[in-house]
Amino acid sequence: MIDFKRFRLENGLILLVHTDYSTPIAAVNLLYKVGAKHENPEKTGFAHLFEHLMFGGSVNIPVFDEPLERVGGENNAFTTNDLTNYYITVPVENIETALWLESDRMLSLAFSQKSLDVQKSVVIEEFNQRYLNQPYGDVWLNLRPLAYKVHPYRWPTIGMSVEHIQKATLDDVKEFFYGHYAPNNAILCIAGPIDDVKALELTKRWFGSIEPRNIDRKAIPKEPEQNEHRRLTLERDVPFNAIYKAYHMCNRMHPDFPITDLLSDLLSNGRSSRLYQRLVKEKQLFSSVNAYITGDVDEGLFVLTGQLYENTSFKMAEEALNQELEELKVKLVKTDELDKVKNKFEANFIFEQESVMVNALNLCYYEMLSDANLLNLELDRYNAVTAEDIKRVANQVFDVKNCSTVYYKSNLINEN
Amino acid sequence: MAIKELDRTVQPNIKPVSKINIPKPEIIELSNGFKVISAKAGSQDLIKIEVIFRAGTRYQTKSLVAKASISNLREGTKKRSSKQIAEELDFYGSFIEPSINRDFASVSFYTTGKHFFKSFDVFSDLLLNPTFPEHELDIFRQKGKQNLLVEMEKVSTLSRMGFYKALFGDNHPYGTFALPHDYEMIERDDLVNFSNKFYKGKGGAIVITGNFDSEQLDFIKGSFASSRFDGQTDEEYILPRIKSNEKKIFTYKNEAVQASIRIGRIFPERTHPDMPALQILNTILGGYFGSRLMRNIREDKGYTYGINSFIVPHSYLSVFVVSTEVGNNFVEHTISEIKKEIQRLKSEPVSNDELNLVKGYMIGQVLRTFDGPFAIADSLAGLFEYNNLDFDYISNTINTINSVTPEQLMELAGKYFDTDSMVFSVSGSQIPDGFTQNTF
Repeated sequence: MIDFKRFRLENGLILLVHTDYSTPIAAVNLLYKVGAKHENPEKTGFAHLFEHLMFGGSVNIPVFDEPLERVGGENNAFTTNDLTNYYITVPVENIETALWLESDRMLSLAFSQKSLDVQKSVVIEEFNQRYLNQPYGDVWLNLRPLAYKVHPYRWPTIGMSVEHIQKATLDDVKEFFYGHYAPNNAILCIAGPIDDVKALELTKRWFGSIEPRNIDRKAIPKEPEQNEHRRLTLERDVPFNAIYKAYHMCNRMHPDFPITDLLSDLLSNGRSSRLYQRLVKEKQLFSSVNAYITGDVDEGLFVLTGQLYENTSFKMAEEALNQELEELKVKLVKTDELDKVKNKFEANFIFEQESVMVNALNLCYYEMLSDANLLNLELDRYNAVTAEDIKRVANQVFDVKNCSTVYYKSNLINEN
Repeated sequence: MAIKELDRTVQPNIKPVSKINIPKPEIIELSNGFKVISAKAGSQDLIKIEVIFRAGTRYQTKSLVAKASISNLREGTKKRSSKQIAEELDFYGSFIEPSINRDFASVSFYTTGKHFFKSFDVFSDLLLNPTFPEHELDIFRQKGKQNLLVEMEKVSTLSRMGFYKALFGDNHPYGTFALPHDYEMIERDDLVNFSNKFYKGKGGAIVITGNFDSEQLDFIKGSFASSRFDGQTDEEYILPRIKSNEKKIFTYKNEAVQASIRIGRIFPERTHPDMPALQILNTILGGYFGSRLMRNIREDKGYTYGINSFIVPHSYLSVFVVSTEVGNNFVEHTISEIKKEIQRLKSEPVSNDELNLVKGYMIGQVLRTFDGPFAIADSLAGLFEYNNLDFDYISNTINTINSVTPEQLMELAGKYFDTDSMVFSVSGSQIPDGFTQNTF
């Protein structure tokens, strides 16, 4: 049970406070409700580019990191298709420095051409390092637009192509900032050895005077139902073949979400999971195999991936995966096995709560979904899942017409 | 009373960080020589146990044997098959993590207190009664070889391997690394012999953190005082001496859009009196986000997504490394800028302002190393492995951070940051001037 207090400032900023005296470190987490899905399809990659610019100095503070490092703080950020999240950990004595910094960059950035040019080039190097210069690194650049035709999940957070980043102008960037980065589009959580009275007072002091802004909320198109199996073969200089299968699944708030999540755990969470035991160890078709959900806020993907051995053909690999999915559709999972994945979920949940930072992040995330207290109900939702639920959802999701398959084919090994 | 106008251009008062609360663990020695280091910490119902053996890769006489031994512990015991081990641990929401470095092999075990006794039974079984089944070793060989082949498609892997090869030569136990065909050579007997010889109490340790009670602690101690860990062997291995000379090696990677660069040299062992101050110099150069290398190569020039420097500790020495991946066209300029930044440490004193910044940052880092049971466990294991549980090391480090002067740092830089005695390794698609071609 994560205790917290919720406050709402007049400018719309939501503050969550979680008090925990067991640590000397305070966490300050600021979630902006803007991610890659809010981008203009002609100008993708902005939310992520912004994450970089947000460290380039704000209107009153020329360098972001330096004052924080001076007081022993550390910070970083990440961008997803749904949100952007900035986080700081700092010895609690100096939490005010963290709030000063976060509030100033919410107030306004120090937009400069030099900062924009450098960060564009850093992001392009990031694109090269993570997506192009790694074996199998570009699979999501291809799998997303195969699975999504309409919804903005069709591009990754880094952007659809480097050209969008190259073309970004200062005006584009300013427009994006004022349309999304505002107190009325943000959730702040302070967690650590600090009480809610003090946390509220400090938050009012630093964030209270920031004016609310008009939020650029365009309707996000819903992905139409997929009604044919989509296939794509990519040929690359990788040492082994790999297969990727993506099925559309429900959204984050849907009652079936925990069921779908446990379904992926049955398949591949842990060394006793079905895919590892049967396909890696017994049949020895794959050197690695994985099933997971993307966990997006809107309708996301259930993904299966596997790296094939040289003697495994794509056909053998795909049939073996399909057979596992088929079994979930026709046979009820045994109580023991279902209990196992529930236990594992519970243990992971407890492991995570050891960190004030993760607690702060989770509280903000659930508040964005609808209510931070959902975090405390999550275990019950998972524990309520039945074997019948698993079978029903397996039948719904694992429909071949709902599937996009990528064969990632090695140019370096012989045809098989 | 008038409300004071908020001045956003001024940093809020910097307050001194209260005393760092370093948990004092209880340390006892079992009859077989195992040190048991325990510290209660954390607010959740969790326990972490790490068992550390003096059985790292430098003790092996055949490539991969140390790694295969520690990884295959969980693949079968006299009582349980690999699958049963996995089933039971997963059922209790527990998991184990084998790890290996040059000096030590270890297995970490994470469990909730709720399922402690049942899941600990599995953990102690796999430590005490491993059978290393042939069939499981076969899967280890196949998977390992394939994963390594994929890893070797990355410029970062190739430049790291090239760096160690150049730094230590082919034969030094700190310099060797496995190649794909080595996976085919390991045999079951190698694992049996290696684990019999090196998984011993003497020189090893058990680190316990989290919310355990005295009953659980006694139970753990009792289990490890067992006969398999009889503490007979503790062979001293004298490491060959290494001379660091400038070497520049290049490993080709077809169609790489970025090159990976590693530059560095051998530093003294972690217990050496110069080390706390060398850590400060390293932090200034490339050890944090605001470091000189990040500011120069990333934030000013935009050549890279990231660049950093770090010091890797080993038992008898440590290795200083600068590491980055940059666009192909920026390789030569990046190397000369790295050299320039290293040179600057030797030729101009760091400003008090920058030094204060780094001190503040490093004190925060020390604080973080004792935040929560997992961090505490890592710190205690690190202290055991590289400082022989010298708890003064932490206060010495803090004292050095607080008291070191720019002049002392510059003098020390003169002693250690000599680019002529450094090794340069690049992997990418274009060979830079003055580099020798290397293959694996």
